[in-house]
Amino acid sequence: MGQTRHGPGRIAATAALALAALIMAAPLLWTLLLSLKSNAELLRGTGTAFAPPYTLQNYADIFGHSAVFGWLLNSAIVSLGVTFGVLALSSLAGYGFARLRFPGRDVIFILVLFGLAIPEQSVIIARHQMFSALSLHNTYGGLIFPGLAAPFGVFLMTQYFRAMPKELEEAAWLDGASRFRTFWKILLPLSLPAQATLGIFTFLATWNDYWWPLISATNSDMYTLTVGVASSQMNFAQTNGLGFLMAQAVFASVPILIVYVIFQRYIVAGVSRAAA
Amino acid sequence: MSGLALRNVSKRFGDTPVLDDVSLEIGADELLVVLGPSGCGKSTLLRAIAGLETIDEGQILIDGVRVDRLAPGKRGVAMVFQSYALYPHMSVRENMAFGLINIGTARAEIDRRIAQAAKMLEMEHLLGRRPSELSGGQRQRVAIGRAIVKEPKVFMFDEPLSNLDAALRSRTRQEIAGLHRRIRTAMIFVTHDQTEAMSLADRIVVMNQRRIEQIGTPLEIYASPATEFVATFVGSPAMNILPVAQATADGAFLRVALGDGTQLETSLPASAIKDGALRLGLRPEAVRLCAPGAGDTNATVEFVEFLGDKTHVHLALSRGDRVVALAAAPCTARPGDETGLVLDAAAGHLFGSDGRNLKAAPA
Repeated sequence: MGQTRHGPGRIAATAALALAALIMAAPLLWTLLLSLKSNAELLRGTGTAFAPPYTLQNYADIFGHSAVFGWLLNSAIVSLGVTFGVLALSSLAGYGFARLRFPGRDVIFILVLFGLAIPEQSVIIARHQMFSALSLHNTYGGLIFPGLAAPFGVFLMTQYFRAMPKELEEAAWLDGASRFRTFWKILLPLSLPAQATLGIFTFLATWNDYWWPLISATNSDMYTLTVGVASSQMNFAQTNGLGFLMAQAVFASVPILIVYVIFQRYIVAGVSRAAA
Repeated sequence: MSGLALRNVSKRFGDTPVLDDVSLEIGADELLVVLGPSGCGKSTLLRAIAGLETIDEGQILIDGVRVDRLAPGKRGVAMVFQSYALYPHMSVRENMAFGLINIGTARAEIDRRIAQAAKMLEMEHLLGRRPSELSGGQRQRVAIGRAIVKEPKVFMFDEPLSNLDAALRSRTRQEIAGLHRRIRTAMIFVTHDQTEAMSLADRIVVMNQRRIEQIGTPLEIYASPATEFVATFVGSPAMNILPVAQATADGAFLRVALGDGTQLETSLPASAIKDGALRLGLRPEAVRLCAPGAGDTNATVEFVEFLGDKTHVHLALSRGDRVVALAAAPCTARPGDETGLVLDAAAGHLFGSDGRNLKAAPA
């Protein structure tokens, strides 16, 4: 047992993993390091990042920059709106495809799956025109609605509901539950692992989305954090300060880090499930 | 009438019939076991009564009220599934309460019924646990408890013992029999295991290929099988079936000749003679070993199964027909031995070309 735990193979594997982790973490650590330096020092060169003095002034400047909190709120509203919308719609649609029999069910399901194969770029102009015609640009609806079309979510929930034992549903019917109550009280709670996986990935994808908010939110009040942070570097970093820019990047990642820390168990399970 | 009645119930899945003109009645305090091989339609029958399958023809009545168009939860039935189907995210107490909450039962009444059922099933200490924290036997008990608290008019069990080991199966069988004695409610128990059927049932319904073959008490089913299927399906080892070469009606009783010329007198009146191929059915206990040449015919021992209190001796007759004899233990027969056989045809059965027992009353 001791040999397995401390053998040369084990040490080599650990070293390789540590190196890989360092390579992955290096840009993040570099960002963090730069965010702790004054802009004046960084103008002399980024090599100064390895030596003191360090400062939290860039973070203080963020808190003094009122627009950042507005962008943060926008990102939270849009990400949570899309996440809960996708969960609700995908669960209902998944249950319908998995458990209800209705004419055209299989054809409609295949059409939904086709959505997985259509790149966003191919529909963006049509979507832009449609949202423009409906005056949805620069609104939360304009930022949320496109994300609700989630063929992967429908597919995932359909497969999950299909795999659930039919007897559970039948037992609930014999217990006098209606179809909706059976869905709500029995099947939905049991689909929590799939809901968590879908919710986390949807939240992260929406939070990090840059392209559609860039197109739809032209008013700076409606910027999401990604668009807002990017707008700060339009005249390159020196204008506003590299340290300040890095501090904004770190600040923007904090909610994502919190989500990862809280839900990492589900994220690992979700990746495994997707691989399977 | 009180209890359950099925009248000419038929069901098809697409073009495939799964229940064919099934009629039966179950008394309000009767334990009826539906016995049959896989795919015979017994589980579909249960599901049709529960309302989990619609029926295409016929009627289902509970306590004289037609229920075959009612939703499952409105029929007054409760079911214990083969997989138990306990709600994994709920505690035992919540599992038992769910059905009562759905019908608006008062909280105090729910608590009373759960306490009563938990005491009856000796599972008070399990009420706070989740199904994943229970053994197979405990889950089984919870599934029964969940059914009991609903105080249904009809209990249904869909092969509930098949996931248990042999020792627990025997114990649970006794508990279900005890439960039925205590609550005296109509129960339908579906199984393919004849031991369960024989030991539990007030009456057994034997099904084969979507139809009812016979309904009777365990003794009737065993001693007077209506068809060759029932005769061979019930009993272990199965009834020996021997082709009859010739049947003659000389004397008061029907005489039959086997392929090797062995002449046997049956207990059937000579008038029972029938056209077509006949087959003689003999239970292993109607086949006895004796000294070579001292019995009705001779046979070669092929295989001996020693089972402790008894021995099954597998034998080949001279024309290749095979029979199993029940011998007392210890038995000295060895594979390859020549032995004499007494074939007690008077205790046997004759089956016509339609598979029906000539001894049984017309169906």
